[in-house]
Amino acid sequence: MITWILIVAVIIVAATFLIYYNRFVALSHQIDNSLAQISVQLKKRSDLIPSLLASVKGYMKHEKKIITEVTNARKALMSAKGVEKKMKAGNKLQSALKSIFAIAEGYPDLKANQNFLQLQQELSAIEDKVAYARQYYNDGIMSYNVMTHKIPGLWFASIYGFKPKEYLKIPEAAKAVPKIKF
Amino acid sequence: MNRLSFHDEIKRNKISSYLLIGIILFVLLILTYAIAFSLGGDYFFLILIIGIPISIAYVLIGFYKSADIAIKSVNAKLAIGPQYRQYHNLVEGLCLASGLPKPKLYIMQNQQINAFASGRDPQHAIICVTTGALEKLSKQELEGVLSHELSHITNYDIRFMTLTAVLVGMIAIISQLFLRSLFWSSITGGRSRENNNVILMIIGIALAILAPIIVALVQLAISRKREYAADSSAVKFMRTPTGLIGALTKIKNNTPMKVSGAVAPLFLAKPTKQKEWFMTHPPLSKRIARLERM
Repeated sequence: MITWILIVAVIIVAATFLIYYNRFVALSHQIDNSLAQISVQLKKRSDLIPSLLASVKGYMKHEKKIITEVTNARKALMSAKGVEKKMKAGNKLQSALKSIFAIAEGYPDLKANQNFLQLQQELSAIEDKVAYARQYYNDGIMSYNVMTHKIPGLWFASIYGFKPKEYLKIPEAAKAVPKIKF
Repeated sequence: MNRLSFHDEIKRNKISSYLLIGIILFVLLILTYAIAFSLGGDYFFLILIIGIPISIAYVLIGFYKSADIAIKSVNAKLAIGPQYRQYHNLVEGLCLASGLPKPKLYIMQNQQINAFASGRDPQHAIICVTTGALEKLSKQELEGVLSHELSHITNYDIRFMTLTAVLVGMIAIISQLFLRSLFWSSITGGRSRENNNVILMIIGIALAILAPIIVALVQLAISRKREYAADSSAVKFMRTPTGLIGALTKIKNNTPMKVSGAVAPLFLAKPTKQKEWFMTHPPLSKRIARLERM
């Protein structure tokens, strides 16, 4: 009888160890994957820039400054390493794009250009997607961190060496309120 | 995160799906036996041998092809083309927010604002919206609607709801067939077949009584709770209830559309006028009130 109880107890303990390990691994993978998704969206954004600039150039001959700003922001995004830096560069590019779209308001011909409109729609969709991917990433981090801080997850986390992870912060540039010039 | 906290809901949906399959299979087998018994005579075993595989095949097809059947029954088409870019973009964004694979997107020609999701699991899911929804809803409202449908997918509501639509719909058809054949045989049948007719009549009447009861039970099981749950996880994905509130408010002014009663529970808002206690969806005003409190 006692041997049976012991065997059952051992099985339960082993199963708990296994379940917790798998949960940590699954969540870590989910987090890594959502991080990759953010990079994918940022890549898509930078890929769309050349065709946007091509469609804009003919109309905005006197707006060289903003066009070079976008080109530079794209270059910075492409050379950025690590998601934090990529996010930062991506945000810079996004704000540069916003100025382009604001300027475009003054060019009725450009606003009627189908190609331009499509690119504008696509780029704003990417902005939404980046935000959603970041939200999912942070959701993943939250459940991961809650698990590493709660008992018994806390014990298993220290046994397996899973450390709490950092949330993805919104880079400073994005938080700054844009200055309005008159 | 969402999936972990909705774990019980998902498990319940999976269990009730298998239960439903079991019940329907059981009913079909009994039916086969009854038909063989009443019509068969010498062919009793032959009818059984043919009938049983057909029943099993039917249930299997119902499970694996339910989404296709639902799409065909409302005559929906794949959403392809630049005019659906926004639709695709919104779904892609919400999939990123919920960690789901992107479902196949369909549209159905209808001026009403409505949508449904279907499929047996998130990997084989589809979402269908009416052309009316694409035209009349703002971007944020459409996103709210799509977010609600994606919640049905994460919660595995789609499997259960679509199975219900397909399998229970079939029972309704069989009972109709029976009643009609009863009617015809009472006209053409002679005295020699009187015995069979009595048995047929009993089966027909039993089915006619049974079918609505099964439908009602299943609709109760689908319950308005699922809709509330989908509304709240829709808000969780979007982090704002504004879009869904706007969409539901617009739907309130909708006139009902015509779809078969069997697929009605799939939709975002009840598409047909139903009696109060037969309702598959909670009243819109209650849903809006709940969302406004979030």
